[in-house]
Amino acid sequence: MRLHLGGHLNWYDAQRRTDVEVRLAERMPLLDLLHQLGVPRSEIIVAAVNGRAVPIEDAWVADGDRVDLYPPVGGG
Amino acid sequence: MAFGTTGRILWVDLTQGTTYVETLDEATYRLYPGGKALGAYLLLRHLPANVDPLGPDNILVLASGLLTGAPFSTATRFSAIARSPLTGTYGESEAAGFWGPELKMAGWEAIVLTGRAPQPVWIHIRDDKVEIRDATHLWGHEPLEVQTAIRAETGDKVTRVLQIGIGGENLVRYAAITNDLRHYNGRNGMGAVMGSKLVKAIGVRGSGKWIQYAHDAQPVVELGRRLAKGVKEHPQSWDLQEKGTPGITSALNAAGILPTRNFHQGAFEGVDNIKWEAYEKELLTARKSCYACAVRCKREVRVDDRYQVSDQYGGPEYEAVSGFGSNCGVDDLQAIAKANELCNRYTLDAISTASVVAFAMECFEHGLIGLDDTDGVDLRFGHAEAMLQMVDMIAQRRGIGNLLAEGVKRAAQAIGGDAHFFAMHVKGQELPMHDPRGKFGVGLGYAVSENGADHLVAAHDPTLANAESVSFKGAMPLGIRVALPPRDSSRQKVVNYTIAENWNSAEKVIGLCFFGPAPRSYIQVEDVVMAVNAATGWGWGVNDILAVGERATNLARLFNAREGFGRADDRLPDRLFTPLENGALEGVALSRDDFERALTDVYDLKGWDTDTGVPTPQKLDSLGIGWAAEAADVT
Repeated sequence: MRLHLGGHLNWYDAQRRTDVEVRLAERMPLLDLLHQLGVPRSEIIVAAVNGRAVPIEDAWVADGDRVDLYPPVGGG
Repeated sequence: MAFGTTGRILWVDLTQGTTYVETLDEATYRLYPGGKALGAYLLLRHLPANVDPLGPDNILVLASGLLTGAPFSTATRFSAIARSPLTGTYGESEAAGFWGPELKMAGWEAIVLTGRAPQPVWIHIRDDKVEIRDATHLWGHEPLEVQTAIRAETGDKVTRVLQIGIGGENLVRYAAITNDLRHYNGRNGMGAVMGSKLVKAIGVRGSGKWIQYAHDAQPVVELGRRLAKGVKEHPQSWDLQEKGTPGITSALNAAGILPTRNFHQGAFEGVDNIKWEAYEKELLTARKSCYACAVRCKREVRVDDRYQVSDQYGGPEYEAVSGFGSNCGVDDLQAIAKANELCNRYTLDAISTASVVAFAMECFEHGLIGLDDTDGVDLRFGHAEAMLQMVDMIAQRRGIGNLLAEGVKRAAQAIGGDAHFFAMHVKGQELPMHDPRGKFGVGLGYAVSENGADHLVAAHDPTLANAESVSFKGAMPLGIRVALPPRDSSRQKVVNYTIAENWNSAEKVIGLCFFGPAPRSYIQVEDVVMAVNAATGWGWGVNDILAVGERATNLARLFNAREGFGRADDRLPDRLFTPLENGALEGVALSRDDFERALTDVYDLKGWDTDTGVPTPQKLDSLGIGWAAEAADVT
């Protein structure tokens, strides 16, 4: 699956990657994946799976999905 | 004893061609320590009611903040303040760059321009030496040519030049002022006020240092070193350095609040062509900074392809990317960069200009204006060439550009029909590219702001939505305790809003950029308090700083009350009370009942009369500005 870390979320990736390819052996809760990757839940305000906005707590992801994550942005 | 300011204001009487110096005492500075507060104080004290904003009786104040020029990140800002020709209200706009710090180093806290010069002039300031020079040969020329000419004339390659382009000369009501070609007092038409006075430029060079005005400079110097090292160690400042403001485009699109086709929609099908990744690949040539700032959020761009875009004027911020992009239905980044560059060459506010073009596009699509009106320009959404032609016509006041140069409020009145519904403004100032249907507090800021729709009035709601987030934790020392969803409209939301509004207002007094302090970025509240106290020796707490911001807002509010503005003017465009047509918030609209109730809560919490929106005598006395009610004739 492809994970997009929008805004400042790629600061939490050791390599500062905006787009991360992840191999998933089986479906898993999005929260578990975030925990594995070290991206804090508290920094995410919008999550979309395959282009549709989803509640983060309820979302599951699988190999082949595209997941977009965005932090709160404060104007500019 | 030094207390952070130079203590001196330079008054320039352009009609007489004379100057004089006013010195303010420490007690006055404690109430009005710079920027917005000092400007509002001077405006209320010196400007009679009901002056023509573009006449000689208006005054233009250019005021540094208390910490402007201090050697740490984002302490760069100064305010331009006058009665606004766009709104008729108290007018204000901040800019960063290098000019504000240079003014302080030349020994001046502020410059006040009065009257009107008999012919175009520019003002040369070299420390105490001030000259009013002929600028006939500079009038009509572009900023790069003018800056080059002034630096040649002074023989000094680093004279900091603040100036207007032809947008200001032609009195476009939303003309900007630029300094160092890349930094803008964009909003409220301050460039038109400068143009009305026939002042082309102000060149400044100072030999002093900020530290000579500080009570104890050493802690501020150490803070500067710490912030320079720490900029990459904080997610928000790192992000601003990496991407700048264009980094937020796709996030807003995903949230369903990327203004699209004049705020009809909240998601743009062409977002992939205008988002940060495309910007970095297609436009970016360098990351640039302001004075002493490690954040380096300014973008430099260059295009030599379908369009020619110079690298001299600074790249588009998010506001221009969305304004000329999604909100005009244009997904061509090169055209967006060109529109932004034209605004910068002409010194037009990119936010208002883009909103005016989007308004004209919608009027065109609804048949309210036709090809006969546009000189044959096919002004439908998505037509990049048409958009660029409009920017040119506005700056030159040519054809329909002459009407559009008046702003959407006046243009809608002239066009008639449903045009008023397409005019996205508050008090005459066009909306920035943030949709209150997804950020309720931003809508309150638009409505309540003393100078019309403004997106920098308070922290944006998403940054205060999660109690565990970096941004929320950064705001807690201000007294913000309860995290709330972005669309929440409860009284508690209003509590958060009023605290955040006082903080943002204080930033405009102190001279800090929005991209420095928490909650937007990485300078912690306690470090701002420390820096203020090191500069002044006043021993203030955070509440004293919040009070500075609140006092400035109340002065501006009183100015507006004198000009007849009240609760009826604190409104939002009708379109925001209709549902978004697509995206994550499809079907979502603001509720009029929620908005009116929250507006009453704002007044109540701020100590303003809930029927009129005017500050009460008790509130003014508590802020130490009881005199201002009489000056504003609202006793």
